Amino acid sequence: MSVRYPCRHTGESRNPERQWMPVFTGMTEEVDTYFCCAVLSKPGFPLRKGYRLFNPTSAIRHPTSANRKDAKVIKKLLIANRGEIVVRVMKTCHKLGIKTVAVYSDADRNMFYLKETDEAYHIGPSNPIKSYLNIEAILDAARQSGADAIHPGYGFLSENSLFADAVVTNGITWVGPPPAVLMAIDSKCYCRKIATDAGVPVIPGTIDTISSADELCRYASEHGYPLVLKLDKGGGGKGIEVVREDLQAKEAFERLSRIGMLAFGHPGAYIEKEVISPRHIEIQFLADGFGNCVCLGERECSIQRRYQKIIEESPSPVVHEKERAMLFECTANLVRAMGYQGAGTMEFLRSAEGQFYFMEVNARLQVEHPVTEFLTGIDIVEQQLRIASGEKLELQQADVQLRGHAIEARIYAEDPVSFCPSPGTISSLQFPATDPAHLRIDHAMEAGAAVPPYYDPLLAKVIAWGESRRDAVDKLVRALSEFHVEGIKTTIPANLLILSSPKFLDGELDTGFIDGLYASAAPDQLSGKPLWPCM
Amino acid sequence: MEVSVNAHMPGLVARVVVNEGDKVVKGQEVAVINCMKTELSVRSDQDGVVKTILVKEWDEMEIGNPMIIMAVDHK
Repeated sequence: MSVRYPCRHTGESRNPERQWMPVFTGMTEEVDTYFCCAVLSKPGFPLRKGYRLFNPTSAIRHPTSANRKDAKVIKKLLIANRGEIVVRVMKTCHKLGIKTVAVYSDADRNMFYLKETDEAYHIGPSNPIKSYLNIEAILDAARQSGADAIHPGYGFLSENSLFADAVVTNGITWVGPPPAVLMAIDSKCYCRKIATDAGVPVIPGTIDTISSADELCRYASEHGYPLVLKLDKGGGGKGIEVVREDLQAKEAFERLSRIGMLAFGHPGAYIEKEVISPRHIEIQFLADGFGNCVCLGERECSIQRRYQKIIEESPSPVVHEKERAMLFECTANLVRAMGYQGAGTMEFLRSAEGQFYFMEVNARLQVEHPVTEFLTGIDIVEQQLRIASGEKLELQQADVQLRGHAIEARIYAEDPVSFCPSPGTISSLQFPATDPAHLRIDHAMEAGAAVPPYYDPLLAKVIAWGESRRDAVDKLVRALSEFHVEGIKTTIPANLLILSSPKFLDGELDTGFIDGLYASAAPDQLSGKPLWPCM
Repeated sequence: MEVSVNAHMPGLVARVVVNEGDKVVKGQEVAVINCMKTELSVRSDQDGVVKTILVKEWDEMEIGNPMIIMAVDHK
């Protein structure tokens, strides 16, 4: 239950409406139902070291001297992002008594969460290049507000080493890996080299970028097709070309170099063998500045469209204890070799034959982090803030318990058949009933609110927890069936189709799952026709 | 006579792929709109010649905004 108290910061608020804000009382069950998971719902469950994050008295303001090195107290955090992740980060800040600063573009000026932050600053027009990607505008907001730390969320500037460096140079705490690490791991070839040196398997291919299409053909004559040409500095599903024969090599190489130059400023591309029907499995980890690394289990994210995830779950239906231990060891080795600090994710591909390959590191808080929070009871944002402020990880690997099964469905503002974007205005909205032990919804939706065409189509994440996989899936299906959004199209029908397919229920997943499902689904299984042809 | 090619989706202009003076055939891609991080082609619905390009990269588009003026020959 949240109680309305006068704002603790009255007088600093520029907007009189913001002088009242919801804050959470100090009792555990009222702190933040958002994060209270099954672990805490069990009466008498021991509050172990790793779970003290639910106790507001352990706020980041009161560290013990023994666990800090160059401690920087975070009192006011600027969240350099938009949408649901702002709401998510704010929840932890409220719990820890940290003031929050939001930023917004023209298109987002009426977002409801702006009224719930201590301060909010306009940073530019709707075009993200001029607002959420505008380093100077965000730093100006930080300076004006006196924020002593910046959390970048995901996407936008979250893995931008120039931004991280500018933040640090301005004497502001950066909630993320050190800028030099960000700069280095931006190169996939660097990561492949680091992994190879650390004895972590990578997808067979070249370690360095290639200089011509001829080199691709030469590689193919030795190792055969199909091959995947990938940009050294690509990302977000962009900069990947599958090459099946010599005839395609020149065009693919030139197209990719062009995209690399235009989109990422680097044309370099390297070769990988194509992994057929892979599963996407990633390890969430926390690493502090004292050389400690703790893995928080894996997430299986094989259900994707356009290389972007739709459904994520943990544990993976196929990863067994021995493999998990091996993946944890690989992750710790990579973290050490990279000098990584903060929360992050190591992405692996698992081939149909069961071979794991390291793919890349995601140097940010990930969209699907709630799956892990539900499974472990650990607040990853809180851990990020603690690590950024110089604290030592109090968690040890033995403290991490993976309980039950958690699964997340991402709801996008897209046509459920064609996955074409569907911006507009939410005319009516009905959420399923949440239950802190079993169902969590992360969102920034409101009836009457605009869903602008300028940003990511993610509307909400629905996360369910159950004793077993089937139990978690059933809860998720029930919640999605009760989730009603009108005015725009959403992927809820697509999520329901996936979750009810026998193949999914059997845990037979791979990254081509959606294509296969849609090829065999009857048209009436999906409501609505494409709004616009996706070209 | 002149006709305009209009935005069929809101978003940001990702790029214009024709130049003034170019001959365009029906169905040809003339520009790309980035809507919610997805790139969508804007195609001409008739043959013609590009007369004026009204938009540039990163311009904000609403549905129906004219993007390109084309000269078409109606006999």
